Amino acid sequence: MTKKMMFLLAVLFVASPMLFAQGTASSDVAVQSKAYLEIGAALAMAIASGLCGLAQGKAVAGATEAMARNPGAIGAIRIMLILGLALIESLALYTLIIVIGK
Amino acid sequence: MPETEPWLTRIFNDYLPAAGNFFLNLVGLPHQARPWADYITMQFLVVAIIVLLVTILRSRLSVDRPGKLQHIFELIYEFVLGQTEDQMGHGGIKYIGYFATIFIFILVANLIGLIPGLEAPTMNPSVTAGCAVLTFLYYNFVGFQANGLLRYTAHFAGPVWWLAPLMIPIEIVSHLARPLSLAIRLYANMFAGEKVTMVFLGLTYFAVPAVFMALHVFVALLQAYIFLLLTMIYVAGATAHEH
Repeated sequence: MTKKMMFLLAVLFVASPMLFAQGTASSDVAVQSKAYLEIGAALAMAIASGLCGLAQGKAVAGATEAMARNPGAIGAIRIMLILGLALIESLALYTLIIVIGK
Repeated sequence: MPETEPWLTRIFNDYLPAAGNFFLNLVGLPHQARPWADYITMQFLVVAIIVLLVTILRSRLSVDRPGKLQHIFELIYEFVLGQTEDQMGHGGIKYIGYFATIFIFILVANLIGLIPGLEAPTMNPSVTAGCAVLTFLYYNFVGFQANGLLRYTAHFAGPVWWLAPLMIPIEIVSHLARPLSLAIRLYANMFAGEKVTMVFLGLTYFAVPAVFMALHVFVALLQAYIFLLLTMIYVAGATAHEH
């Protein structure tokens, strides 16, 4: 299953310049660079959100495990969890600001 | 686009353009036809709401038979006091005026965006940058006040003296990054909340994006709390005495 996915991804990777060349065949520099800009913006936001999701998942996992092991410290762990989640979220939001600005 | 302004801004622009242009001239900006911006009038509204609430509260304060408003404000005060004592111990009570003010202001400013016809002033980067720069100036000022000018700047050199050429640029950059991150975090959360609602309004039926507004309530509360928490952490770091 993973090998098939990797193969499909590799094919998509290799074929992508041809796909994009078809789309922007107007050969107008402004239109082409705008297309690249939008694709880059979408990719940047997707990568930022994906990595932010992973990091927040790790934070919540660590926090819930610590709360399970030490129920007396639930108050302090909750504060650290909320603070950590908001700081990680803000990293993805910086990317959103750049995307909206462009 | 005067027909898309909130009604309050329209009132300000119709009846008080001279006052708006007076303030613009003070900072050197040219005259404009409709000088009042949305976020400025909304900030006035937020301040008016808070002052009104607190005035009503003051007239009804009572030790023996507290009313509902007093209960609410006691809850808010206990919450901020509890957080301050968590972060800073017992010396934190000196700064609770600023903490509670910034918390209540950002909370009301965030929540006002949910009312149709009004717009959250924190959706504009100027407002959040104002709050963040104010916090930056406040915690530096408090650090100078508590530790003295020389000892506060000596913190930048780090734990050992021979690391100072490495530590000072790192510390300066990280201190400058603090108001930037505070401003952008609050602005982006509020702005993205409204944008997501608008995008889904274009995609689906009329009342479905109300789910996003419910999420936005939670995000508004959380972001006000995070701003408060970070302010307290910075003030705690600035006033830390090395005993």
